[in-house]
Parts: sequence; structure tokens; C-alpha cells
Amino acid sequence: MLAAVAALSGALIAASLVASRGESAPTMTAPASPARSSFAGLPQRGAALGDPNAKVTLVEYADLQCPYCARWSTQTLPVLMDEYVRTGQVRIVFRGLAFLGPDSERALRVTLAAGRQNRLWDVLEGLYYRQGAENSGWVTEAMLHEVAGHRAVDGSGAPWIDKALTKSAQAAQAAGVAGTPAFQVGRTGGPLELVQVDSLGPEGLRPALDSALAR
Amino acid sequence: MSDHRLRLTSAFLALAGAGISGYLLWVRQTGANLICATGGCETVQSSQYAEILGVPVALLGLAGYAALLVTALLRSENARLLHTALALTAAVFSTYLLYVQIELVGAVCQWCLASDGIVSGIAILALLRLKVAQAAPA
Repeated sequence: MLAAVAALSGALIAASLVASRGESAPTMTAPASPARSSFAGLPQRGAALGDPNAKVTLVEYADLQCPYCARWSTQTLPVLMDEYVRTGQVRIVFRGLAFLGPDSERALRVTLAAGRQNRLWDVLEGLYYRQGAENSGWVTEAMLHEVAGHRAVDGSGAPWIDKALTKSAQAAQAAGVAGTPAFQVGRTGGPLELVQVDSLGPEGLRPALDSALAR
Repeated sequence: MSDHRLRLTSAFLALAGAGISGYLLWVRQTGANLICATGGCETVQSSQYAEILGVPVALLGLAGYAALLVTALLRSENARLLHTALALTAAVFSTYLLYVQIELVGAVCQWCLASDGIVSGIAILALLRLKVAQAAPA
């Protein structure tokens, strides 16, 4: 009986490990990425990151080919997450834009599809770590499969993603977004205000976040 | 404790485990909000370890608990041996999943912890049943 137990549990564990490699998370394979997900322990729901009941919502408008967006996401976001998101004060919502070209849209579509699996932020981070020169063809099928997994790639042509892209573009236009990254801050469920940031470091958004939290 | 009581307790635990697995599977299929006090449930449930070759781990859990429930309710010797084998397999696999949560995903899900506790309980009861059977006169 013990042999059967060992064989069955060994098979299950081996299958789990093989399957996880086949659909590996970006942060576990990219040499430049953190050793484990930066978002571990934080709830993700679609495009939202953090406690759904957080007092303040920060909306980020970004294009996946924009180098400043990559810098903000990989350097500034971890600091803000520790200060505001992990403490349950702020939730962050991603609004993707694809104005820089075809590589932007391809990457964005897969990122949004990953949101259906509540993995949008992990995929976003993985793509930023692999960001190449604008419209150089860096968004390859193989890279997308590696970063986002087959399900997200297969789901990236869904009609709801067309609507989501349109909705984000309209929201950006209505908010007066002129470039990326751009940010809106406000009380969760309330009106959002476009924030003019002087710096892409954490200090650029702290005043707006602190002010919204103090209200 | 008698074999009868041990079987009933195992069946009750398997039913509770099936409830947890069923809930996690329902949330996964419907996209409903996952109740979570530990904060890491969604991270765990959306990780690449939440599926094995396209099969949700919650579905495997539901099938496993159903098999444990049926084999706990049956009174034959074969059922007892199969129940013990399943319980020990589930315990080993649960330990692996606990390692995955803590070391690989970096988040802990309260439902998985509850399931781990239930599986451990069923495995201990299964071993006790073997002991009781060995002690019983032929």
C-alpha cells in the first residue's frame, strides 16, 4: 500500500511541477525579474490590485511599450505598494493604452486576458522586464506564452477585450491624459482627479495619495 | 474509539473537505468574490499551481474527498485499505501544496490551510482504523 501511496502522490506532484513550468509565471523565469512575484499576498481582481475596500483608488494609464511606464512599474510601484497598498489604504487599477503601435496592442490584449485569471499585474511586470525597443517586434508569441501562459494568449482575441481597449482610451481622453504613465487619484467609488506628477519616483504620487487619504 | 465512530468521523471530515473544494471550484468557475481572511487566497487560486495539466486543483480535491467519503462509508476490508491509501496520498500531496504556497507562491490561502487540516485528520483516523482492525479478534 505504501508503494501505491508513494507512486500516486509522486505522480501528482510531478504533474503539478511539470504543469507549472509549462505555464510559468513571468517572475519565475525571467532572469531580470524578481525571484518571486512582487504581488504575492496582494489580492488581484481583473485590473485591480489591492484591497477592494481601500479608502483611495489610484488609476494608472500606461502603454506597455512606454519606457517610463516600465521604470515606474518596476522601480516606483514596489515602494508605493509597500507604503499604501499592502497597508490596505490604496488600491491600484490599471488602464492600458495602446497608442505606440502594434506591439503595444498585442501585449496589452494578453495582459488584459490575464486579468480574467486575476494575474494581470504579474503579467504586466513580466512584460515590462522584457520590454524592447518600440515596435521592434519584441512582443513575440513565444515571449507572450512564456510570460502570460497559453490561456491568456488564447483569450487575447476575445470581443470583451476590444471593448476594454475602447473604454480605456475613452476614459483617458475624458480624464485629459496626454502621455504615459498618467495617474488619477480619488476616494474609492468617488470622482477621480488627474494628478500632475513632478517626478516618476514615489515622491511624485505621495502628496496626492496622502491628500486623498486625509480627506 | 470504535471503527464505526472512526468511519463516521472520517466521512464527516471528507464532507467538510468536499464543501471547501466545491466552494473554491464554484468561485473559480463563476468568478465570484473569494472570501478570504488571510489575504492570499486569490494569489494562490490564480497561481499556475492552481491547475494540474488543465485540471483545477479544487476539482481534484473534490474528487478526492468524494472518494474518501465513499470509502469511509463502506465497511469492507478493501474499502478500508483503499481509504487509507487515498488518505495518505492526499496528506502527502497536501504537504506539497503547503510548500508551494509558502515557498513558491509566497501567499497562504485559508481554505487550503483548512483543507490541509482536514486531510491530516482523515489520514490520522485512517491509520487509527488500521490499528483498530489489527487489534480486533479475527
